[in-house]
Amino acid sequence: MSQLVRPNRASRSRWVLGAPLLIFLAAVVLFPLGYGLFVAGQDRSLLNPDPSWIGLDNIAAVVQDSSFWRAVRFTVIYTVVVTSVELILGFLLALLFNRRFPGKRLLLSLTILPVMIAPALMGIMFRLLLNQDIGLVPSVLSVFGWEISLFGTDAVVPMLLLLDVLQWTPFAFLLFYAGMQSVPDELYEAASIDGSGYWRSALAITVPLLLPVAVVTAFLRGVDAFRTFDVVYVLTGGGPGDYTTNVSIYIYKAFSSGNFGIAAAASVVVCLILLPVVPVVVRRLADPARS
Amino acid sequence: MALETISDGRGTTVTPPRTPVVPRRRRRAWGVTAAVSAIAAVLNLPLFFALLTSFKSDADIARSALRVPDTLTLEHYANAMGQAGYDFPRYFLNSTLISIGTVVTILVICVPGAYAMGRLGLGRGHLLKGIAALRLIPVIFFAVPFFLLFSRTGLYDTIPGMVTANTFISLPLGTLLVMSAIREVPHEIEEAAKLDGCSDYRIVARIVLPLLAPTLAAVAVLVFITAWSDYLFAVILTSSEATPVTVGAANFVTSTGIRWGDISATTVLSVLPPLVFALFAQRYLVRGLSAGAIKG
Amino acid sequence: MSKRSRAVSAALITGVLVAACGGGDSDSASDGTVKMVLWPGPEGEAMQQVVDEYNTGQGQTDGVRVDMTLLSRSDTFSKQATLMSQSSSEFDVYFTASYLIAQHAPYLEPLDVDVSDYFPVVTESLTVEDTTYALPLDVSNHFLIYRTDLIDSLLDDESAHDVYGDLAEQLIGQRMTPKHPDEWDWDDMIVAAAYFTQSHNPDSPTRYGTALQARNLLFNTMIWNNVLWSEGGSWLDDGGAPALSSDAGRRAVEVYRTIYDKGLTSPDSSQAEFPETQAALTSGSAAFAIQWSAAYAELDDPEQSPETAGRIGIAPVPGPEHRTHVHALAVGINKDSDRKDAAAAWLEYLATDEAMSAYAAAGAIPSNPSILEAHADQNPIFPYIADHLDEYGYSPPALPRTYDIYVALADTLSAAWVGQGDVDAALAAADDAIAQLVDAG
Repeated sequence: MSQLVRPNRASRSRWVLGAPLLIFLAAVVLFPLGYGLFVAGQDRSLLNPDPSWIGLDNIAAVVQDSSFWRAVRFTVIYTVVVTSVELILGFLLALLFNRRFPGKRLLLSLTILPVMIAPALMGIMFRLLLNQDIGLVPSVLSVFGWEISLFGTDAVVPMLLLLDVLQWTPFAFLLFYAGMQSVPDELYEAASIDGSGYWRSALAITVPLLLPVAVVTAFLRGVDAFRTFDVVYVLTGGGPGDYTTNVSIYIYKAFSSGNFGIAAAASVVVCLILLPVVPVVVRRLADPARS
Repeated sequence: MALETISDGRGTTVTPPRTPVVPRRRRRAWGVTAAVSAIAAVLNLPLFFALLTSFKSDADIARSALRVPDTLTLEHYANAMGQAGYDFPRYFLNSTLISIGTVVTILVICVPGAYAMGRLGLGRGHLLKGIAALRLIPVIFFAVPFFLLFSRTGLYDTIPGMVTANTFISLPLGTLLVMSAIREVPHEIEEAAKLDGCSDYRIVARIVLPLLAPTLAAVAVLVFITAWSDYLFAVILTSSEATPVTVGAANFVTSTGIRWGDISATTVLSVLPPLVFALFAQRYLVRGLSAGAIKG
Repeated sequence: MSKRSRAVSAALITGVLVAACGGGDSDSASDGTVKMVLWPGPEGEAMQQVVDEYNTGQGQTDGVRVDMTLLSRSDTFSKQATLMSQSSSEFDVYFTASYLIAQHAPYLEPLDVDVSDYFPVVTESLTVEDTTYALPLDVSNHFLIYRTDLIDSLLDDESAHDVYGDLAEQLIGQRMTPKHPDEWDWDDMIVAAAYFTQSHNPDSPTRYGTALQARNLLFNTMIWNNVLWSEGGSWLDDGGAPALSSDAGRRAVEVYRTIYDKGLTSPDSSQAEFPETQAALTSGSAAFAIQWSAAYAELDDPEQSPETAGRIGIAPVPGPEHRTHVHALAVGINKDSDRKDAAAAWLEYLATDEAMSAYAAAGAIPSNPSILEAHADQNPIFPYIADHLDEYGYSPPALPRTYDIYVALADTLSAAWVGQGDVDAALAAADDAIAQLVDAG
């Protein structure tokens, strides 16, 4: 470690502090990553117990599959819509919470409760809640004379978007709220002396300070929305036809049919599609003093 | 009235009362409570219906949702606790151990690691990019490789194995969030500490850590929840010893339909541990800690 | 570096190492324990009773103990696929099915099954290139499940016949009279569905006539196949070429499309499968549906379905020819198992009448005609199953990629079922998908 150019004491502590991370990456991440890439280059499937190396053929098969690109298109639209809506609503909700009011502690927990339900269970609960014959929502709507179909072919996509917003706005909220806690009170006080309204001062002060949090939240939420699986799969199975097939469902179907090579290759393509967002996020996190 | 609303730094969107009986500020605060309660109610509609369903008999579940049930039953809770022949107490214990283990491991890895990357130049940004990129790969990509790795190392179907797998899943989230919080820590504090002769380790433990408390609480909650919610890895990497609740609950989705009552009861029970954890973590989610630490 | 921080760093590293390397394989492979996979539900629960009986009885003699693991319904096969592809020896007995046998065959031991005990259509469906790879457990097929009270009132009430005739004229273009469900063809089903749909007949006691299962799901393809087969169609023509772009294929899609577009089923049927169809029947909002045989027990149980119990009738799937899809759930021995002898002893027991009688008594539907006949008092549907399979049962071609074809048909056709897109284009896409899968297989 002494070979580092700068004889800074940081040179040693960085390795010590970074050791757990580096050890974990080496022990747990490198092999699966490498093996996964290896599988992506094999014609491995259940029907083919002795796979051979076929290079980029799987990637080519995925890239040439029009249904893959339809899945990508649906996924991109889904991701952009839910991420932006959730970020905005989550931020507004955090602003609303960012003050004293009775019952705050309990309500904070209640607000993030939806995030605590495993998506696999949440999908089933949505399926029950929205069931036309035994679900609560259609029954209540029909009391008000609204005989609308929640899963009809016109309604299903907006429905899925709404459900995602319902479950994941609290995620954005939690991160924004935690971020706001590090904005010193003094800043707000200074702003209110100037006579600016709460919402205005809140926006003026918190938005710039919370930009890194917003970027990370957008990244985490965006990537997770891009990889959404359980709720959509449980509710629609990707249908009707492939109208709601997202990339995760595409990959899962390949995987559960035993087409491991294709599933791995499709995963690689998805990663490549998303890769350009990484530098954008990481740049935001870079230490301003060092860059 | 309108002018006063503006002049108050903590005004809300609630219309000010015409005749202020209680002090305006308190009334406003109750207005916020009402608004937040309404939002929380909408967000928790699925859970609320799960709660209702969990107490209904199968016969009542099979009929209209608005029909007043003939009877209430605890049968579904009995099933969700193991009566149905599935070892739910164990699944709950497994999920709890896996989630807590993952939170601890993530904090142990990410806090020093993020400081080393954010302040001490570890990896020069490339390492962070690599970790962030891990998040982009669909989890299923790793299913077969992890199965292979775990089968060979004896981690298959064990709690440490599931902790490892979930740490892997949450590593990008933990690292990025801690990085974003470290970025917010003013350099002056650390510089001052260094001048006082503090080591980097001491700075992390004594100065940075307290400043990060709200973010670490949020990270802990999210990591706990993520590990608690994991399903796909658990299906592939466990078979009986380390089975978590999510996989156990899947037993109620059968080839002849979904056991709505049982799975509703399981859902209700399964939010309790993360909820308790969140309530516990919440006390670190308060403002002032950071300001206090800066002054001190 | 202070003492304390050194200790902290050490703890961090050990923590990771423990997480990464801890644990150990506690199971020893040497004992006589046979590990078996099954999925949850009536099959898994009934099997648990058979397992318990074996472990306390015959198993003692054999020196074998069976340990069953239930994996989730949707992911049993994904998990098994992972295990198989890695030549895992974790499980000795795998769960399989007619629609998967060709994929699983390379990982299963050939079995010597006494075919005379089972429905021929079932054992054939578990045979790949003249070798049987699995022992049949449950048999699954479809029926038209209907509300006897409602159908009787339609048949008996003369005034209803006018309404029925008008609806027939409107929907089919000719006057028709109500028939008993045993004699329905698809037009009869459509008109009867309209009769029991409030938007077509305001006096209907049910909101919708039927409950279609049109979600994009491979199991729903199996139901739709009945329409195709009953119209004389199949996936492939005699020359082995894809044959969905045919009159039978078009007609089969049109039947679904008419039912959906005319509102004879809930608009939400586009996302419906087994549970939604059950809910439509148990809640009294649909009068009849084509449903899986296993649904009957729940619908006729006053505890679970008070609205329908005692008022449930079954008829063959409508048709010009009545046809029902048949598949079997089955178990096979893992080729890579370390305990094949013990597994074989267990399967030998499962093949006995004693085991299958216990299985039937515990609520499953075994594939043995003699056992179904003998347990008619158990479940009134058993004798029907026995008759129907012989008369109307078919099993789709056992191609290497049969499973993938089911999935592809659901992907390409499920939108057309519910009125989206062009029928011919969907059928052409389905043919393309089949052609690719047949070639690749």
